[in-house]
Amino acid sequence: MRVLVNGEEVGTKERGCALCGATWGDYHEEVEGNELFFCCDMCAKEFRNMVQEVKRRKGWERVEELEIRGNYYTGRTCVARSRGRETKFYVRFGDDGEVETFRDVE
Amino acid sequence: MAICPVCEYRSPYWDQISSHIRSKSNSSDVQHVMWLNRNLTIKELTEEELTGSLEEFFSLKDGLAQWIRRRFVEKFYGERPHPFILAMQSPTRGVLLGYVLEHQHFLRNWVRVLAAIIYKTDRDDVVRSEMENMEVEFFGFMGRPAHYELLIRMGESLGMRREEILSTPPLPATASSIRTWRKIAETREWAEVMAAMHSLELVADRTLRKYGAKMHYFKESILDSQDFPREVKDFLREGYEADQKHAGEALETVEKYAKDKELVQVTVLRSFDAFSKYLMARLERGMQFEPGLVKVVEAVTG
Ligand SMILES: [Zn+2]
Ligand SMILES: [Zn+2]
Repeated sequence: MRVLVNGEEVGTKERGCALCGATWGDYHEEVEGNELFFCCDMCAKEFRNMVQEVKRRKGWERVEELEIRGNYYTGRTCVARSRGRETKFYVRFGDDGEVETFRDVE
Repeated sequence: MAICPVCEYRSPYWDQISSHIRSKSNSSDVQHVMWLNRNLTIKELTEEELTGSLEEFFSLKDGLAQWIRRRFVEKFYGERPHPFILAMQSPTRGVLLGYVLEHQHFLRNWVRVLAAIIYKTDRDDVVRSEMENMEVEFFGFMGRPAHYELLIRMGESLGMRREEILSTPPLPATASSIRTWRKIAETREWAEVMAAMHSLELVADRTLRKYGAKMHYFKESILDSQDFPREVKDFLREGYEADQKHAGEALETVEKYAKDKELVQVTVLRSFDAFSKYLMARLERGMQFEPGLVKVVEAVTG
């Protein structure tokens, strides 16, 4: 899976956390068959929950590409792509890393 | 004395704090990593760089009140202002209704937390100023309606019935922020609680431009505009006039009486995070009336 955070490709310790872009921490997790770097297990949980939510809402089997913009304070506006399809949404996570707000963006 | 802003580990030296935080980061400790991401930088620093960065971040060279102002401006009025504040520059019905529905819960909790300051302090001047604040915000003062009442009237003027407003529960983000403030009220020294709460009144402080704010809480021309019901202008004007005084005086008091300034700093930062989350709740509530408001977030994140 290709992941961009605020315009930069991420997912390794050198490039940054797959959710927030941070290079602190040292946590790896496999998501959708890809080994991804996260700064902490909270970011990993949020990322997994977000991918799950997109697949559930769209009926997709997988997410191939994610463009994430924003941060903890602003919430995140994202574009997810899979097999030539595309969906835009706003997401913000709750205290336990769950998807608290998810809104489609026109 | 230097402090870890997360677990409050103390040391006379910032390099020991730096080493502590780096070791927490190396084991991907959520709270420590999140603090770094939200307050310093998302790019990993060496121990030496982190020491300098922490020392600079917590430096009280202009005093505690100024430090609080500077951090507030940075977080809410900086290069990327908070999305809700951006939305307030030309507020729509959705934005204002989001404000009403979430802020009623904020205000009901507000007076309860101020009561904790009164309970904990040994200073009568602090008791008096908190009681005056409670009157202005919640009960009404010198024959004028309370902010709480003005808020409800604003909601009514936008077409919502009073019962409907009062029976709407808070969004989870508002409830979570309120839990943070209540925990602060229950567990921290009164001067810390005071700083945590009254620093939030800086949001409507017109003097923030002097400290680098890129905009005001809302465009002042709204107050003379014909595009908004009188009740909207009454609510905005009242907050504008009172909060500046409230925040300024309270921060002076905190500066004077705080026993441990570093503890005040870390408590204030926690309150800022709760406030940011709460302001997003206002905007997200607004999106329920006007889905297009999500564009405001894109304007900040894009
Ligand atoms: Zn992260
Ligand atoms: Zn610590």
